[in-house]
Amino acid sequence: MKRFLIFIVLLLPFLFGLYELFILANVKDPIKYIYTLSGVTSTVILFISIYISLIRKWVNLIKYRRLIGLYGFFYALIHFLNFVILDAELNFDFVFKETIDKPFIYLGVIPFIILIFMTITSTKKLFKKFKNYHKLIYLALILITIHFIMAQKSLTILQFIYIVMIIATGYWKLLQQIINKNKV
Amino acid sequence: MKYIKKQNWQLNEKDITPEELFNKRRTFLKLGAATAVSAGSIMEVLAEDKLPLKNLTFRKDTNSNNLILNSYEQITSYNNFYEFTTSKERVKYMAHTLDTNNWKITIDGLVDKEIEVDFDDLIKKFTLHERIYRFRCVEGWSMVVPWIGIKLSDFIKYVNPNSKAKYIRFETLFDDDMFPDQANMLFPAVDYPYVEGLRMDEAMNDLTILAVGLYGSKMPKQNGAPIRLIVPWKYGFKSIKSIAKISFVEDEPLNTWQKSNSKEYGFFANVNPNVDHPRWSQKRERVLGKFFKQDTLMFNGYEKEVAHLYKGMDLTKYI
Repeated sequence: MKRFLIFIVLLLPFLFGLYELFILANVKDPIKYIYTLSGVTSTVILFISIYISLIRKWVNLIKYRRLIGLYGFFYALIHFLNFVILDAELNFDFVFKETIDKPFIYLGVIPFIILIFMTITSTKKLFKKFKNYHKLIYLALILITIHFIMAQKSLTILQFIYIVMIIATGYWKLLQQIINKNKV
Repeated sequence: MKYIKKQNWQLNEKDITPEELFNKRRTFLKLGAATAVSAGSIMEVLAEDKLPLKNLTFRKDTNSNNLILNSYEQITSYNNFYEFTTSKERVKYMAHTLDTNNWKITIDGLVDKEIEVDFDDLIKKFTLHERIYRFRCVEGWSMVVPWIGIKLSDFIKYVNPNSKAKYIRFETLFDDDMFPDQANMLFPAVDYPYVEGLRMDEAMNDLTILAVGLYGSKMPKQNGAPIRLIVPWKYGFKSIKSIAKISFVEDEPLNTWQKSNSKEYGFFANVNPNVDHPRWSQKRERVLGKFFKQDTLMFNGYEKEVAHLYKGMDLTKYI
């Protein structure tokens, strides 16, 4: 039941996007809209996924971490496909050149590759083997954050709040690791 | 029953009504509706096609480039107006705080006489022209807008700057009661008041206008009422909104976006598909309302009219 609820809730941004794009059909700049919706949703979900281990003492959602992480990948995939299909219009040469050329682009592509790796190795069998490498999510989140900040034309209070939250989360994670180590 | 068959040679009603008038029938209907505040059904018709009442008199543009206009709804619902918010969709709902009554424009610097002119007086002095232009934002989206405005060259001739004036500098109104982000002490989106500028020959070019309306109607607040600059061959941020001050100066003005990030935004900001923004390509553009992109044209399609202004300049350097 809980799993189903999480499944539905995380699908809502996708359904909302479809509704705005095709039923209301009032989106002025569809490519930009898809970028923003998928990018922000993916980032938020990926952050939630790393919070799960932090809050497990109070709420234990470890069982659903894979589902939540896969949703993070799902929205990142939409974001990437929007880049390749609608924005670059399947011009692979352009995609490749932009990726090599522009920090803003490769700072989005690298975390996406990390997410592909994590998705492939998220099955029970492979996860056992590659568990340690899943710590790459922290690198991915740092790069995603820089990518997100770079996407703005000018920074507003929202982005500063976001940066403060990330630093606080990193600090909390670090603190927890130190405490855990000292216990052993 | 007597039945008279209409002959081929007989004119029907449409042929008798002058075409011009015939085409204006909806405007006529609207005027009637507006004055009579009549039955709801007519008001519904008005609301349906979402066009404003035409309240400006102007010389029509023949649209010789056959540009396809964006809708009034699109043009007025997607606005970069950081004095309100950085959200393009929300400007429309916030712009009501902008009060354009008794709007004054200060004209100073290297002119015969520094004056403060009343906006309503000012526009009466000049012929209004409709100009159907492409509008290309540096962010990569674009639209086509039927602006109404006065030629900036007409205005400059009227205020008569002296020969020392090499540049024209514009400033948006600073009033933090009207513009919420100007009251933002900690994290304003950009430095206020917003500043833009043109070289005098760019300002005198026939394409450059001070726009006071669009779609035949006075400038909506979210689009920079009551008066804004339109320079169609430059990225949209050059087209400063809600102008309160125009100065004639000797040195190149430091415009807001150049001040904010000079590596990415320069003084010239000419639309150029061959020079990328450091973060994204400028080769193609997203037309508002479409899923598919189109090629961006050199000088936004106005190469013939303006390329001579930049002869011999390295456009990769003078961004």
